[in-house]
Amino acid sequence: MLRGICLEVPPGALVRIEGGNGGGKSTLLRLVAGIDAPTEGRVGGRPPRTAYVPERFPVALPLTALSYLTHLGRVHGLGRAEAARRAAHWLDRFGAAGHARTPMAELSKGTSQKVAVVQALLAGPDLLVLDEAWTGLDARARSELDLAVAERTAAGAAVVFVDHDPARLAGVSDAHYRVEGTGLAPVAPVAPVVPAVAPGSRVRIRAAAAPGSVLPPGLSGRPGPDGAVVLTVDAARSDEVLRTLLGARPPWHVRTVEELP
Amino acid sequence: MTALLRYQGALLLRSQRWLAPFVAYAAFVAVGIRPGDPVLDSLGYAAAGLVPLAAWLVRICVTNEPGAARDCAAAAAGPVRVHAAALLTGLAGALLTGALAAAAALLVCDRAATGPGAAAVAGALVTVVCALTGSAVGALSGRPLVRRRGYGILAAALGSLLALVLAPSPARGAVSALVSGARSGTAEVPLTALAVALALAAATGTAACLAAARRG
Repeated sequence: MLRGICLEVPPGALVRIEGGNGGGKSTLLRLVAGIDAPTEGRVGGRPPRTAYVPERFPVALPLTALSYLTHLGRVHGLGRAEAARRAAHWLDRFGAAGHARTPMAELSKGTSQKVAVVQALLAGPDLLVLDEAWTGLDARARSELDLAVAERTAAGAAVVFVDHDPARLAGVSDAHYRVEGTGLAPVAPVAPVVPAVAPGSRVRIRAAAAPGSVLPPGLSGRPGPDGAVVLTVDAARSDEVLRTLLGARPPWHVRTVEELP
Repeated sequence: MTALLRYQGALLLRSQRWLAPFVAYAAFVAVGIRPGDPVLDSLGYAAAGLVPLAAWLVRICVTNEPGAARDCAAAAAGPVRVHAAALLTGLAGALLTGALAAAAALLVCDRAATGPGAAAVAGALVTVVCALTGSAVGALSGRPLVRRRGYGILAAALGSLLALVLAPSPARGAVSALVSGARSGTAEVPLTALAVALALAAATGTAACLAAARRG
């Protein structure tokens, strides 16, 4: 339940909503998207072209992906040929063109999610509401969605989103709110972290993994026979390298990090 | 709205969930309508069966779309119009089926007692009245007003029965007027029942659509 919420989403704004599980994030997004009406108060000024991506879309509809998307494009107000053309274009952008003729009931979870994202994007909505839309997408589709969100906001559309990954679109959000109790509190924008390192300084990272492991792509270095590796990188890049090492599957164990004189 | 109706129509047709009510109704009509029967009697019989059929079809249409897909459509077109499209698709299916049954009755039954034109008009109106009444029952016994499947089916069955036996029901009024017309050989045009059925379907449809906007 949410109470006494006042949220303004100006055109072209990217708004992030966060909060705990079951805290009312999805309820708020459904109100913003116009799927539900509030019991009290009102939501006004919603642009005519609004699109929503649910968190889960494993939908057993008796239609193929392309046919569903064409129908939804027409519901969004597009003509038949235009809807089919854009559906094919967006499926291709998300790497799901091969599934255009697959019945919706036979799609994998990830491909279903791509169809959900495509139905929202194909009409070029002026308000895009994403409820953890990235969940279940592969890495390429996730970055494609990041790009599509940037395109929409650049075109003057408002985007409101929830995502469990705090790094999602971090730094480009215009506003950030947190659902707390029954209310909504603005989250102060995090000042961009200015690297507190002198240009040109370097950092040495010692890390180890099981013998025979290879470094994650993007890092250059040769692990020794015991699986240990020493990487010397620009200090400005060291955080990124550490993230890559720790985020690798299986993760690398970071032994030491030292700044070189 | 046209796009939503086309989408709902495609969902209904391709889901094949219309088959069960259609086959049941076809059996009901095939058993009850014999060549040589008085045509008004048969038209009234076919129309009476349309009440549960319409309720069944409307219930199918409002539950046909999984929640996530319904949410996407609701964001695009508004929940009221999405629900209205589902109700109207069910009504259209009932009208189409009723038209087929009425045409069959007009073709095979004995039209000697009444003029074929008068019988066709009366049959068409009674078909519309019963389809509207059944759709009203379906709108009240389906999502979002009744969410549990079991209760919904029970409500639809009970509602259809009441719509056929209770005196104020437009379906009962129109069907009994037709059947008594068969005795006297005059086809009565049930305009009052049509007006009541239209008002009933509009009121129940509006209530269901507003509830759909309130709580999905």
